[in-house]
Amino acid sequence: MTEMNNTLTIKLSGSEGAVIRALGLIERRGFSLVKCTVGEADSSGRVMEVSVSSTRPGELLKRQLERLHDVFHVDLKPVAAVKPRTSGIRPVTRRI
Amino acid sequence: MKQSTQIAPKLRSGSQVLIEALERNGVKQIFGYPGGTIMPVYDALVGSSLKHYLCRHEQGAALAADAYGRVTRKAGVCMATSGPGATNLVTGIANAFMDSVPMVVITGQVPSALQGTDAFQEVDIFGITLPIVKHSYIVRSVTEIPHIVNEAFQLAQNGRPGPVLIDLPKDISAGMGDVVYTPPQAWPATDLPDEDAMQAAAEMLSRARRPLVIAGGGIAISDSVDEFRQFIDRTGLPVTTTLKGLGVMPADDPRYVGMLGMHGNGAANHAVQNCDLLMVVGARFDDRATGQLAQFAQSARIIHVDIDAAEISKLRKADVAIVSELAPALDGIRPENTANPGWQAQCAGWTKEFAWRYDAPGKGIYAPKLLRDLSRTQPEGLTITCDVGQHQMWVAQHCTFNNPLEHISSGGLGTMGYGLPAAIGAKIAKPDATVVCVSGDGSIMMNIQELATLKRYGIDVKILLLDNSALGLVRQWQEIFFEGNYSEVHLTDNPDFAAVARAFGIQARSIKEPEDVSDALEWLLNTDSAAMLHVAIDSMENVWPLVPPGKPNHKMMRSNP
Repeated sequence: MTEMNNTLTIKLSGSEGAVIRALGLIERRGFSLVKCTVGEADSSGRVMEVSVSSTRPGELLKRQLERLHDVFHVDLKPVAAVKPRTSGIRPVTRRI
Repeated sequence: MKQSTQIAPKLRSGSQVLIEALERNGVKQIFGYPGGTIMPVYDALVGSSLKHYLCRHEQGAALAADAYGRVTRKAGVCMATSGPGATNLVTGIANAFMDSVPMVVITGQVPSALQGTDAFQEVDIFGITLPIVKHSYIVRSVTEIPHIVNEAFQLAQNGRPGPVLIDLPKDISAGMGDVVYTPPQAWPATDLPDEDAMQAAAEMLSRARRPLVIAGGGIAISDSVDEFRQFIDRTGLPVTTTLKGLGVMPADDPRYVGMLGMHGNGAANHAVQNCDLLMVVGARFDDRATGQLAQFAQSARIIHVDIDAAEISKLRKADVAIVSELAPALDGIRPENTANPGWQAQCAGWTKEFAWRYDAPGKGIYAPKLLRDLSRTQPEGLTITCDVGQHQMWVAQHCTFNNPLEHISSGGLGTMGYGLPAAIGAKIAKPDATVVCVSGDGSIMMNIQELATLKRYGIDVKILLLDNSALGLVRQWQEIFFEGNYSEVHLTDNPDFAAVARAFGIQARSIKEPEDVSDALEWLLNTDSAAMLHVAIDSMENVWPLVPPGKPNHKMMRSNP
């Protein structure tokens, strides 16, 4: 499976726990964090820019993030494909 | 001189504000366990309109609230203190999260100034539960309590339901504030189903030669059973259900081919593997339903109807996706022609071929037959809660349900220990129902202390305990997939369960002969208070069929190799 890099621009609430909630979801859903920039919060919330890498489609992560009450909006930008890695990402396989 | 009209602020404690907010959100009953940091809330509870049920372990409280939420479709509420009280809730919260159950969880927390100092009974329950809540809050002022509570209930109950946690530091619950209660704001309406997608689905259904519908738990959650049955009446499509979809179709409906999946019916698994179009309604392609995903319904195109956009194409790519409430989508999909007599006859043939048999050899009590008899003894008004293991699968296979809310089972998380607290929550939510907890000798011990809750409140729950002196499903797997290398599965030193029940003040009987089943079931269902029927069964009995791990659904085993 080829890993894809995606960049997500996440507009989210400035409330307690919002950033860690979004970052936790990203890794839990099988995406490696490549880079992350967290903006300062103001009255309308804050913006986080995240680059991720995974064999899973970025669109799935976008929709998972959009489920969060803290997340207002997600923009997804695919970046070029990267070389397959041998570890790090859990493939979508069935558990026993 | 003009008299001042200014009213002196009426100061109230955070706990009083919390209790009022719960009352205003329609809460009547809550489940919990007191302790240090939640004490101000328990202080305010006295004299309120809320009926509190003291469970004897916080996990029992959370699982009771879970079942209460399933049955009422309103958030069940549970409450515990910080530290171990909060961590004991975690399994119940995860259970609600995995099965999309509305729940509001209130945890005490150490005072704000002590948070982050490893204070006595401090754990970061907000952090611990991040992966298993729909949303969560740490309350930072008394004034924000009404808004947080209102929003918690709206979030828990709207869209795809789930648990919401409110962590309440003790300085807030004990602190004072001048709080004006504001009613909840209207929740935004869900988008209507996309017309083009519904049209595309209708055309696919009209063109398909072997269409099949999978009915999932979402149909019960969204109260769309009537709309679903009308859709099937209109289209005549064959239907299979997931574990959580059981009861969506009457068990004797000719279009119903049974439950699919690892321990599903052969008819359902053959239908799903042979269909050319699969319409999935309120289900999420769980691995226990699909078997090996790559070979699941390989020649089928997929119509996926679900309220949660994140479920679309998560595991299986949808050819048409409809993201909306289920009822308007089911009403709006109007195929012109879905008559496929050959395919319908084939499904009916499988249903006949794979009909359950109850003529098992052996001298002891055959649990599948006993469970079928239970459903037949009282076909109406019976709610069955389950624990997890062989008995859970036998209930799914052999009990019949007229409505999905009659079957309360821990699907996604598979929580041993769910059955008894779930029966407590279900009985409190539905006092007129006969509630039977079907459990096993492994599972019952996980929350055996809740027998005390039954006794304390006179909750009339019937316990049917199937005792095979083993962790049966694990033993079965060790027998089949680990060459009979039994490891830590034998429970031959079980206590005398009937004596245990009696020690808690619960009447109990034990049986082990098939000829005693009929009388014993009559006794269990007709006692006027909580009772346990302990049934000794063969420890080597297995659940069939079984789809081995990594195999597609049609490669199921029907007996020992």
